[in-house]
Amino acid sequence: MIDTSMYKDDPGYNIQEKLDIPYDPTLADREYNPQKPMAGRLTDQGPPHYEQFFPEVIKKNYGKWLTHEFVQSGVIKYTSETGDLMWVVRCATPRLITTNLLREIGEIADKFCEGVCRWTTRNSLEYHVTDEGTLKDLIEFLNNFKHPGGSYKLPIGGTGAGITNIVHTQGWIHCHTPATDASGMVKAVMDDMFEYWNSHKLPAKLRISMACCLNMCGAVHCSDIALLGIHRKPPFVEDDRITGVCEIPLAIAACPTAAIKPAKVTLPNGKEVKTVRVNEPRCMFCGNCYTMCPAMPLADEEGDGVAILAGGKISNRISTPTFSKLIVPYIPNELPRFESVCKIVRNIVEAYSKGANKYERLGDWAARVGWERFFEQCQLPFTEKSIDDYRLAYDTYHTTTQFKWSSHTDKLMKEAGY
Amino acid sequence: MAADIEELKKKVLDYMAKKSKFKPKMYFKDLCKADESAKMREIKKAASALVQEEKVEYWSSGSTTLYSLKGASSKETDTFEHD
Amino acid sequence: MADLKKHDTPLLDELKKGPFPSFVDDLETRGKGGVQCCYDLLGQLELSYVHKETHWKHGGIVGVFGYGGGVIGRYSDAPEQFPTIAHFHTLRVNQPASKFYNSKFLNKLCDMWDHRGSGVTNFHGSTGDMILIGTSTDELEPTFYDLSHQFDMDLGGSGSNLRTPACCMGKARCEYSCLDTQAICYDLTMTYQDELHRPAFPYKFKFKVSGCPNDCVAAIARSCTSIIGTWRDNIRIDQKAVQAYVGGEIPPNAGAFSDRDWGAFDLQKEVIDLCPSGCMYMDGNDLKIDDRECTRCMHCINVMPSALRTGVDCGATILNGAKAPILEGAQMSTLIIPFIKMEYPYEEFKDYVDLMWDWWMEEGKNRERLGELIQRQGLAHYIVDILGREPIPQHVKEPRSNPYPFWKEEEVPGGWKRNLADFRARHLA
Repeated sequence: MIDTSMYKDDPGYNIQEKLDIPYDPTLADREYNPQKPMAGRLTDQGPPHYEQFFPEVIKKNYGKWLTHEFVQSGVIKYTSETGDLMWVVRCATPRLITTNLLREIGEIADKFCEGVCRWTTRNSLEYHVTDEGTLKDLIEFLNNFKHPGGSYKLPIGGTGAGITNIVHTQGWIHCHTPATDASGMVKAVMDDMFEYWNSHKLPAKLRISMACCLNMCGAVHCSDIALLGIHRKPPFVEDDRITGVCEIPLAIAACPTAAIKPAKVTLPNGKEVKTVRVNEPRCMFCGNCYTMCPAMPLADEEGDGVAILAGGKISNRISTPTFSKLIVPYIPNELPRFESVCKIVRNIVEAYSKGANKYERLGDWAARVGWERFFEQCQLPFTEKSIDDYRLAYDTYHTTTQFKWSSHTDKLMKEAGY
Repeated sequence: MAADIEELKKKVLDYMAKKSKFKPKMYFKDLCKADESAKMREIKKAASALVQEEKVEYWSSGSTTLYSLKGASSKETDTFEHD
Repeated sequence: MADLKKHDTPLLDELKKGPFPSFVDDLETRGKGGVQCCYDLLGQLELSYVHKETHWKHGGIVGVFGYGGGVIGRYSDAPEQFPTIAHFHTLRVNQPASKFYNSKFLNKLCDMWDHRGSGVTNFHGSTGDMILIGTSTDELEPTFYDLSHQFDMDLGGSGSNLRTPACCMGKARCEYSCLDTQAICYDLTMTYQDELHRPAFPYKFKFKVSGCPNDCVAAIARSCTSIIGTWRDNIRIDQKAVQAYVGGEIPPNAGAFSDRDWGAFDLQKEVIDLCPSGCMYMDGNDLKIDDRECTRCMHCINVMPSALRTGVDCGATILNGAKAPILEGAQMSTLIIPFIKMEYPYEEFKDYVDLMWDWWMEEGKNRERLGELIQRQGLAHYIVDILGREPIPQHVKEPRSNPYPFWKEEEVPGGWKRNLADFRARHLA
């Protein structure tokens, strides 16, 4: 057992008795007085203590696990030094879920797993069972658990040398600066990649991440494949409303490239107002100004779309953690199913699957065969946008005579008449 | 020390009132200019106390948080609110 | 119940097809059950699919009274078409470390959120919080009151706060874990409640805790202070189990390659030759590791988890400064403390945190992440002058290639004040 006695006085140490009391929808209305917000207020309580949610088998075997095995895609068998066995079933969720589905997730936990479940850092759901009979029943249940439209509610997979769940951001469902939709793109890409979600047939694990603007709430910058929403048009400046809705110094300070300067203009009605002007060639399309100043919107049907980066990783395994690299600078938003994004992802995954060695991550494969070969084998055009001209750009320049002959140099040779 | 914090709170409020005329929303670092001899953690205590007393309020972009005198930057909120 | 109005969503309907879970179906089912805001949310999303532009506006609301974070304000820019989502704010709720839950909790949370908000959630947000998506300004305080009184729970971080710390599942399930990740995550979260709720940092700050260098919470890519488990002693080897892998009795990498024929397992090719430090070799039938040369990359352990185990003298490697590309470009965390014991009450670690935060609060510019401050003022300055630690070769990938260190006056014998007359006595002008 874990010694957690030092935390026993924390408010969240054990909330189980509190959870036994049904939710009281009128409590806050009776007790909370907006005129006296401090009365009866509880603050700084922190999160509930984690241990109270562990299944019994984990409480008993905490820190005692010996080994694990993926018995099939999405099913992990754990062996403890106490002799206990535990199976975990991993299933995908789209992250954006309603209380309807949350309640069903709880019902399944009640039916098969002592009421307990767990989420992974990549938005997958995991159930824990301790006997193979229950495991079989749970798998069978999940395989038949579907939405009205036919998609799985909780499809099993996401382990080993396959594609794990896509971590992603809010997109158009709930954010003010996205350049594309997140949930829709993830759905489209995962539908297309589903055969890799529930199998172990790639050379290594492959992680796809998605962020809907370059602020990257999703921090996709170290993923095997990163899908990134980008804007390509600078913000509007609404001179007639900016002073009413913005603090101009904040809008100016929000700009990472100092592209926003104060200005005075005369409106058509003759009124002189303080406003700003954007040095447009300096704009990096981040939307930070719009966050500070609603009179500077930047979303645009034609300007916005998707960039793809590839070859990053987080794990320290074999090679060190690496950033993803820009390989496709722009794809228009194709709604609702993002066909080009799906096609490019498939090309990359298939070329990687064919070319990489066992244990080799996508970026390590690209580095080994050379990025010239990567572009060739993934059937991607190389554009000048992939040549860095931002800060520290020189680090990515090719300061050696070692390169490979590829379709790119073949073309040059041909053009030169060699 | 209670006396010190009262004094610091006054300094922070005075500073904010002065500054607020041309820049209603301030970073925490701006507040620290209210008394450059005070430790930042003391200024934080004073600012947090002023929030509790409903004299100062926070504003956030989601990624960055700013401080303002209560009501000083309400015009913006009015523009956002629809009812 | 008011009249339900379902908007036509021909584009989104296409996202009900295919095997991966359809969020459209989930939201629509809930709409059908009488929740208009789910219909309106889909309606507005459909409009975004037509216009290819977002229809949300930023709010500026920050939290509940006294807190400077935990709530993100959102307003629809088409409130007349979609009145039930005119206000649609988000609350971040601090998750239990490593995200285990029971149904009792989930059901009561659902009861609360169905009553106070839309019933739409993210499990979980990118940082790790439970995200409750969609409620009106009036419901924010009652929601917090319910969370704090009926659940003993609290909001997570946003804005210039400490963000909600996150960790991997650690010893709860993973035999690799060198740290009690949940305990560390929980302790830090409780210790720094004030920093989590009341903003006084130049910008956001993140702690993430991974139990081993596989780094399942992406600490090295996503946190200002990455706490990653490691060991100082030797990898434990079960030679009999090594032979079981060689003989094909145990599948390599825990069966991670089971759906493709890669041929028979080849210990030399798949483990020894791939070891980045080349510290493994066979001595007869025994696998040997020169542990002094090992960089603890986890590859051999990942391939043969039943034969190889991490050492037992465990602690954490501390790295600082990761961030996404805004603004100067992406940064990975850089090594600061090669090894630190992480045992309750974590005093040594917390002393280091104090030094780090004091420096960053004092010197960091508005909206400057810790990693950017390290870049601006120099890693050497941070390690030596601020943290008072000895510089070691492990702090760099390689030594600098330019000869321009900034010498300090006190490092040079005699200082910088010199007698010009003496100089000129030796040298004609």
